[in-house]
Amino acid sequence: MNLRRQLLLVSLLTLMLPWAGCEFIRETEIALRDGQEHMLAGTARAIASSMLRYREEFPARDTAFDTRDQLYVHRLESRPKIDGYFDDWTLTEDTLRSIRGPDGPVRFAIASYAQATYLYVEVSDGKLVYATPQSILVEGASRFADRVTLVSSSPPYLREAISFAAEAPGRIISYKQSAYGFEPEPTISAFWQDIPGGYRVEARIPSGQLGTHLGLSVRNTTDPMQAGTRSSSFSGAAPGPAMRKIAELDQVAGIHVQSDMRLIVTDANGWRIAAAGELGAGQGTRAGSALVRRAYDLLVESGKEAAFAEPDPQGREQQPYISAALEGREAGSWFRSFDTGAAIIAVAAPVTTGDEVVGAVILQQGTDAVLSLRNQGLSRLINLTLITTLVVAAVLLGYATWLSRRIRALSIAAEDALEGESLTSALPSALADDEIGDLSRSFSWVLQQLGEYNEYLRSLASKLSNELRTPLAIVTSSLENLEHEPLNEASLGYTARARDGADRLRRILSAMSEASRVEELMTHVDPEQFDLRAVLESTTIAYRDVYENRLFSFTCGTDSALANGSPELLIQMLDKLVDNAVDFSSEGDTISLTLGEDDDLLLIAVTNPGQELPERMRSQMFDSMVSMRGGENSRHLGLGLYVARLIAEGHGGSISADNVDGGVCFTVKLPRA
Amino acid sequence: MAMHGRNVANCDGTDLGTEVAKRIAIVEDEAAIRDNYAAAFSREGYAVDGYDARQPALDAFESRLPDLVVIDVNLKDDVEGGFELCRELRARAADLPIIFLTARDSEFDAVSGLRLGADDYLTKDISLPHLMARVAALFRRLDAMQRPQGSESRITRGDLSIDTERMTIHWQERPVGLTLTEFWLVHALARYPGHVKNRQQLMDAAQAVLDDNTITSHVKRIRRKFHAIDESFDSIETVYGMGYRWISD
Repeated sequence: MNLRRQLLLVSLLTLMLPWAGCEFIRETEIALRDGQEHMLAGTARAIASSMLRYREEFPARDTAFDTRDQLYVHRLESRPKIDGYFDDWTLTEDTLRSIRGPDGPVRFAIASYAQATYLYVEVSDGKLVYATPQSILVEGASRFADRVTLVSSSPPYLREAISFAAEAPGRIISYKQSAYGFEPEPTISAFWQDIPGGYRVEARIPSGQLGTHLGLSVRNTTDPMQAGTRSSSFSGAAPGPAMRKIAELDQVAGIHVQSDMRLIVTDANGWRIAAAGELGAGQGTRAGSALVRRAYDLLVESGKEAAFAEPDPQGREQQPYISAALEGREAGSWFRSFDTGAAIIAVAAPVTTGDEVVGAVILQQGTDAVLSLRNQGLSRLINLTLITTLVVAAVLLGYATWLSRRIRALSIAAEDALEGESLTSALPSALADDEIGDLSRSFSWVLQQLGEYNEYLRSLASKLSNELRTPLAIVTSSLENLEHEPLNEASLGYTARARDGADRLRRILSAMSEASRVEELMTHVDPEQFDLRAVLESTTIAYRDVYENRLFSFTCGTDSALANGSPELLIQMLDKLVDNAVDFSSEGDTISLTLGEDDDLLLIAVTNPGQELPERMRSQMFDSMVSMRGGENSRHLGLGLYVARLIAEGHGGSISADNVDGGVCFTVKLPRA
Repeated sequence: MAMHGRNVANCDGTDLGTEVAKRIAIVEDEAAIRDNYAAAFSREGYAVDGYDARQPALDAFESRLPDLVVIDVNLKDDVEGGFELCRELRARAADLPIIFLTARDSEFDAVSGLRLGADDYLTKDISLPHLMARVAALFRRLDAMQRPQGSESRITRGDLSIDTERMTIHWQERPVGLTLTEFWLVHALARYPGHVKNRQQLMDAAQAVLDDNTITSHVKRIRRKFHAIDESFDSIETVYGMGYRWISD
């Protein structure tokens, strides 16, 4: 893992800051909401205790009936037309209660407006059986028809049933069955409408005709001779008491409710018996910019979907916090709509006398989902924290990048300098007074030392040869003089050997100073333009003469091979490469010289079959006094390839060595003329 | 007073009627080399004077100039003493043969030495027989200069004419100032025009041990000298990888 990644990883730690900020915001939100809920709960408690004054208005708890057997009478805001359509009722479809019928659900609603009670029933019925004069009377004479019956009673009085059956769709006459008999009821108006898969009945009944308990039953038959199936809204023999808003409590609720609040009072079973107030449009006020808003929305704990805070369409409040209140515990809940940002805080407080819970007071307040945004100071603090965090993270990230870039630059420059063996320019960060600066200066120092050492190595050979030349001259001239003295056979042998040794020494010294002579020559050579191809062709012929036990081939892959420089020096370079190739190949091998091109470069390659180059030697084999040869070939000091490199570089080119299939290839790249 | 290791030849200059021995001065700070050279020259019949520094040599030359001077460039602490000595000698005697014999083999030194008017610049690699041959040749040239020019020693190749006696070369009737080594190189090439002379052959002809680079720079210098006379000179052709040849029209 490189330093840049490491620093990047470390800088990830700065993400702790926004995380901490988020936690702070979250906790602030919870505290604020708790505070508001607390305040609301206080109000709810106060309302609950004041409701006790109207204790007698609360419906008495009647354990004889299950709440499922009870119906809720909604309140309409306008008079619906009796035409079999529900759409002129000021209620939503949700308010329709559903009971199971043989051919599908039976959905119905009961509501009151002015002094009348309205009934709407939607029956799924696969086969309509209209009434006949024989069957139009309730359950008479063993003839049956599809029929809707509204059962009503005011215990302990006997129950009555209002029956709606049709001889044909349209306005129908309803019959009332009471203890006194069975007769048409002209005060009731009703309308029967056939629809695909069933029928609908809408009816208006003067409230006086109905008792306190209400229930609905539907008979569905497929054959006038068969009784068919009866479905009821109540399970027992008689329906439970109908629930509705109680006018007095409603009025009281209206007094208590404040703006942008909703107050609901339920009885002990959760039936809504009073409601007042609306949650204002203010619930959706969105403060702050859209972006900040969105960020906050994501942070804040999501509550229940806001729709659940609405009053129950079927009249019975069953949210968990309300159920808790009906069990005697004060409870609260939090609703929010993610789309609008609106939120509702709701609390429910029980209304109790002694140990008995007679009802509950539910108080809801619309608010902004992000409470802290309402507090200018707090929101600014949070914004600042957030921005600071982001800025710090960005700066740290940038700093890490900058730091790693500096180190990389230093490392690359150091490598380059090492490759070139000398320090051509100052390393990056050399003037910085931090640790990287120190490192850079140390590097510079080391590289400088290395450069000086290399320079020393380079000049060592020629210095040494110059120093040794004079003593060698003493030896050779002494020997030459000695040969003119009278010597016996043995002495002649010794002098001959000494001459031989001195001669070899002279050649070694000459080789040692060759590099410096080539360097010197290169500085004042007059470059001339020449055809490299002709030079190579000619030298190849010469090599065939010189090395009789090697074969030489020359191939040319370029049309024009004009080069600039000194052909003599280039030949000298070739001599070194060929000499090397001959040494590392065996008798009868073919050494191939090729001339090629690569864009604006000319390529000279000398390839010989033989042993491959050891990998570790490849980078330093062109250095001074580095030899790959074994001990037996002592005339080589490792200067040949160094001279070749000097000549190639002196011509603005480069030299490299590569292993090729079963051999070695030396390539010289030269710029074209 | 500097040492005067005077190795006098077997025939002393006082004997009138016989040929007076040529007098060679060796200015060389390394005693062993100086003595060896002196011994060799004596054996060849020369009178030899040895000096180990510039000033003693100049003092001695004040009274009598030698016939030939062999100078080392580096004289003890006097790093360029040889050059200085050469300059002063050349000022005194324009025809005095002067040979540099030094361990310094750089091209720059060689050029400097020859520019100061030396007749030859040799490195200490040279063998004694080669050195003797050169000295003899210089004396021969000096002698030939005294005599009228004889046509039998003249070789002509187009614009080139070589006087083997006087060791002078003319191009388009104008003298080309060549050193001994250069003369021998041109002579070897021009004797058989069209023949390629390889390095070894040239080396033998020049009575010297020369490496590739030295031959290359000698040929360069020769061409430059011809060019100074004739811009269009191109008679010495490089045969890449083999050597050089003389092209005659």
